[in-house]
Amino acid sequence: MTDPVGVISTFQTRFGSRHPDVTYVEQAQQAAVGALHAAGMRPDDIDAVVYCMAPTFFMGVSDADQWAVDHVFAAGKPFFRIHTGGSTGGSAVHAALGLLRSRMFRSVLVVGAERLNETADAQEILNLTFDAFYERDMPLSTNTSVALMASRYLQRHGLTERDLARAPVRQRRSALKNPYAHLKGEITVDDVLESPLIAHPLKLYDVCPRSSGSAAMILGDAETIDAFQPRPAFINGFSSVSDTYWLGDRLSDEADLDLGEMEIAAVTARECFGRAGITDPFGEIQVAELYDPYSLIGYLQLEQLGFCAGGEAPRLDAEGTWDLHGGGVAVNPSGGTLCTNPIAITGLVRAIEAANQVMGTAGELQATGVRNTIATAIGGMAQFTNVTLFGDDHRDTQEPTR
Amino acid sequence: MPRSRPTVHVLGVALADAAQRRDDVRLEELAYRTARAALDDAGVRRDELDNITLGASDELDGRPISSMLLAAPSGGYLKDEIRVTNSGATALGLAVARHLSGDFGLGLVASWCKPSKTDVPTVMNSRWEPFFHRDLGLDAAVAEGLFAQAVSAAHDLQEDELHQRTHDAMRRARENPRAVERPVASPEEIASSGHVSTPVRSRHVAEQSDGAACLVLASDAWMAGHPEHRAIATIPGVGWSTDSYRLDRERLGATASATAAWAAALRMAGGDAPVDVVELETPTIFHEAALTRVLPIGVARVSPSGGTFAQNPLTAAGLVGVVEAVLQVSGRAGPVQVPDVRRAVAHSSNGFAHQGSVVTVVDAAERLAA
Amino acid sequence: MSTEPAARPVLHQELTLSYDYAIGEVAGTFFDGLRDGKILASTCSASDLAYLPPRAYCERSFEPCDGWTEAGEEGVIEASTVVVRGFEGKRPTPVAIAFVRLDGVDSAIANYVDGVDCSDIDAAVASIAPGTRVRVAFAEEREGRITDFSFELLDA
Repeated sequence: MTDPVGVISTFQTRFGSRHPDVTYVEQAQQAAVGALHAAGMRPDDIDAVVYCMAPTFFMGVSDADQWAVDHVFAAGKPFFRIHTGGSTGGSAVHAALGLLRSRMFRSVLVVGAERLNETADAQEILNLTFDAFYERDMPLSTNTSVALMASRYLQRHGLTERDLARAPVRQRRSALKNPYAHLKGEITVDDVLESPLIAHPLKLYDVCPRSSGSAAMILGDAETIDAFQPRPAFINGFSSVSDTYWLGDRLSDEADLDLGEMEIAAVTARECFGRAGITDPFGEIQVAELYDPYSLIGYLQLEQLGFCAGGEAPRLDAEGTWDLHGGGVAVNPSGGTLCTNPIAITGLVRAIEAANQVMGTAGELQATGVRNTIATAIGGMAQFTNVTLFGDDHRDTQEPTR
Repeated sequence: MPRSRPTVHVLGVALADAAQRRDDVRLEELAYRTARAALDDAGVRRDELDNITLGASDELDGRPISSMLLAAPSGGYLKDEIRVTNSGATALGLAVARHLSGDFGLGLVASWCKPSKTDVPTVMNSRWEPFFHRDLGLDAAVAEGLFAQAVSAAHDLQEDELHQRTHDAMRRARENPRAVERPVASPEEIASSGHVSTPVRSRHVAEQSDGAACLVLASDAWMAGHPEHRAIATIPGVGWSTDSYRLDRERLGATASATAAWAAALRMAGGDAPVDVVELETPTIFHEAALTRVLPIGVARVSPSGGTFAQNPLTAAGLVGVVEAVLQVSGRAGPVQVPDVRRAVAHSSNGFAHQGSVVTVVDAAERLAA
Repeated sequence: MSTEPAARPVLHQELTLSYDYAIGEVAGTFFDGLRDGKILASTCSASDLAYLPPRAYCERSFEPCDGWTEAGEEGVIEASTVVVRGFEGKRPTPVAIAFVRLDGVDSAIANYVDGVDCSDIDAAVASIAPGTRVRVAFAEEREGRITDFSFELLDA
């Protein structure tokens, strides 16, 4: 018997390049207030606070979480910050799950804010994630690394740049219905192909924006659910896996998990689905909110998570399989990370969107007949991945399998 | 049916060799050696682990997402690995919760810091928000000065006591083979050391050093399934709390996060066993003077290891204190061993002017059988 | 491998990152006030509290701050220190810094304290002890930064 843990409420702000009307901590506060109001709770109803913040070098205040303590109503409460890079938001939801299942706490506020455009030195900061001794002097970046993966993927499966371009076309269209999305609009495959080249085969529209905004989620145990939420989203499965830092170790024949195919996503998903008792993801999961900062990364995950065979995800996109009402699985009906990427909370936004679908609060993005949804998050150049499965009723967690 | 009070078991611990500077090892080598030593101490293999919890600061490690480089050396390769930034002791708090959740069995908690390679004052200045404080140039020393003034007033602290306490802490550290080797200053030398930020004098400050700490933890269920393994200690309670970012007299003088964390940890641990030893994280001696007054420590011996005056690897300092507490209850503290320790409590602080606290209760393993 | 410390070289790097921090409406109003020679505190009608530094939301009433009030020109020191060593602030050390609760305001704000003779540290510390009253002194040239004002001792 595992204790039920459910999502009580969620909140996100409108994302954009900048929010000059508020400071960073005021932005975080908007999310905390929003989630509390949505739950009908007051700060006293929260037992503990988990703060999401990825590298602070972008926004420029070290330990930004400590600055935000008062603003997110955490003074006098148990409080800490989770930071696993781009996977931070997913890791924070997992941390909250642990705090609740331990029975140490009954309600946890997960909250965070991100602003990436107050420094002109973002590229320099991203380069700093590479090793000071061996790698920092080379033009390594996430863009160039994903470009290498994309070239390999296209060649292996006989696909073209045109196949990758369908992801931003579908998701920017979906984002038109998402009031919070950063990038949205009707674009064509040709628009993607004609957008500026970043690193072959990636064009500008294959790549996510740098977004500013904030988000929050309140989670509770059975008692808190009874008091505040008649229709929660239960967390019925989760998993998180960390790979080696060294890119070269993940690109050789000796690699346990190949970076080019993002095999880490398969391992992570198997464990999550094992816990949740999911055996047929395509048949049992209605909505997937995937962390897809590049067009390639969403497709790779669909394949690695077992929604389709290798190389099939772009082809199925052409048939409408991943559309909101396409009869298959609704993939990133929010527009996903391709349309909105506030790094520190992107994983949390994925979890919020997936939970909203179960709770029936996704508005114009709402899929029908939703029983199970998943959210993923990826950090550190596909080094950290996590998956969370939300369901409309509580199911006992199974022993995970690898 | 109420389930019996669950606990978390400590199978093994390790500390890095502490030094003012460890130029002989890269950060990840420091992390690896400590994790390796903790696993060896526990008698388990890395592939048996199902979770890793890290406590590390990007800014002090000098790289964004420092866990990218350090997760695998800490045993995290292809494991469920998660990180908190506030402190190593905070990571332990999360790890304890995860081992009580029923979802995890065997894990490792790791924290490290190499202040020697970092421009610490610049990092501390960048911790202040940019509009109202940083623009004045405020840093950690200013925050400690304000804290020291407030607790001095709240507890009527006299300079003689502070000088003597500093001397005593240095003397205890001198006995501890795991401490950075330093001469012991006399109370007179301490009294005549110059001010850093009044009322804090330079010898009142615990000198920073390079270090790392690791613990191997197991759940009740894992222990039940692995009768060949014996715990060296248990962690029946942990609590943490955070104060306001504001630095007014009321907030500074109250040390409220410490009392809240202590109350939560001891409540969770249950029972009314006396505390035999407390290990306190004291960036300055003012912290020790204040904490020994506000925390109900009873007759406990205070920081027999020398505490933060033995070694102070900033982020990891509190987790070092937890390891010292485990060594005390398992009778392995060496020359600084206190006789017959059944319960030791480790306190850790984080943020400016004691903003956040973590308190960990460590019991002798035999307590289970009793 | 041995853990004996060996004399190894270090790889030295210096990182300089620049930022443009959005001030936002609330702090922006405060800094506009400084330019005009006023210290503006945000107020919450639900809790009847006035905050410095100003904030958007009252953490105690859980309601938005909905007004502004001009802080008194004098206030009382809540916490203070004389910074002597290793300080890279805007002024050379030794220098006095205090958190002051200005009249009519319920929280304290930091700044330098002028007119403190730091040549005698003990006397300087005594002169800025908590409870001491100070007044606000504005700089002649103001640029909308926290350094546009400081505190000075009443008898200075």
